[in-house]
Amino acid sequence: MSEVTIALAGNPNTGKTTMFNNLTGARQHVGNWPGVTVEKKWGGLKHQGYDINVVDLPGVYSLTAYSPDEVIARRFVVEERPDMVVDIVDAANLERNLYLAVQFLELGAKLIIALNMTDVAASRNHRIDAEKLSQRLGVPVVRTVANRNQGTKELLDRIVNLGQSVNDADFRIDYGKEIEREIKNLQEIIQKSLLSLNYSPRWLAIKLLEEDDEVTRIVQGKG
Amino acid sequence: MEIKSLAELKPKEKGKITKVKGSGAVRRRILDMGVVPGTELEMERMAPLGDPVEIRIKGYHLSLRNFEAENIMVEV
Repeated sequence: MSEVTIALAGNPNTGKTTMFNNLTGARQHVGNWPGVTVEKKWGGLKHQGYDINVVDLPGVYSLTAYSPDEVIARRFVVEERPDMVVDIVDAANLERNLYLAVQFLELGAKLIIALNMTDVAASRNHRIDAEKLSQRLGVPVVRTVANRNQGTKELLDRIVNLGQSVNDADFRIDYGKEIEREIKNLQEIIQKSLLSLNYSPRWLAIKLLEEDDEVTRIVQGKG
Repeated sequence: MEIKSLAELKPKEKGKITKVKGSGAVRRRILDMGVVPGTELEMERMAPLGDPVEIRIKGYHLSLRNFEAENIMVEV
């Protein structure tokens, strides 16, 4: 019996909780994230002989260290290392939602995109080419309508599939010559340090250039 | 073409973002919400005394404090 832990992520109001309920049904636990009064929900299910543990992350727009919710979501993915992140994307607000998806990719997470609310998008005449999106980002994209429980089985199939494969996503944003040069310099220094055991060197380098408070603390602590 | 701050826009007036001024976490946050140069927006409505304001951007509604709106430059 194999086990897979997934983190369920997404912007607020994308149907994340509905998806969590679809996936875990009655097998849910509720508590708090350590040290904060932000609700933590987790649950489990079996699919194709796999034990799938689902952790519901707080709904966030971004993975900066701006709010406790964002810090929780980021820490969980960076430090607890779930086997994959399932990002619930609101198909009717695709552009804004993909911002978070790209940040997960920058973190080096194994990602699946659940393109949710595709019915709402269709009613607004948004036609989304899921195949092309999947090609461009290099990750699986599954169409879902969580409030009608559509696409849940396909999503689970993809989770099991991806659980068996290695992470070969190589998506990266080109920040331009000057910034890339600095990223490379920092990355080389980070790769020689113990930090590279726990964090993606490129991600740390980008966050250092952004002067991200939490990452700056981490790097100073382990200098 | 005229450049002014978002805080000076009247309801229903549209514009294109040219610059997001300011610094640090608040600026970063505004950019995170999709308020980036080149994006079109529309002033929806404003509370009495212009604080906060509600805009429509990338197909959704966003409320901003007046001091945030003042840092967003738009071309109308």
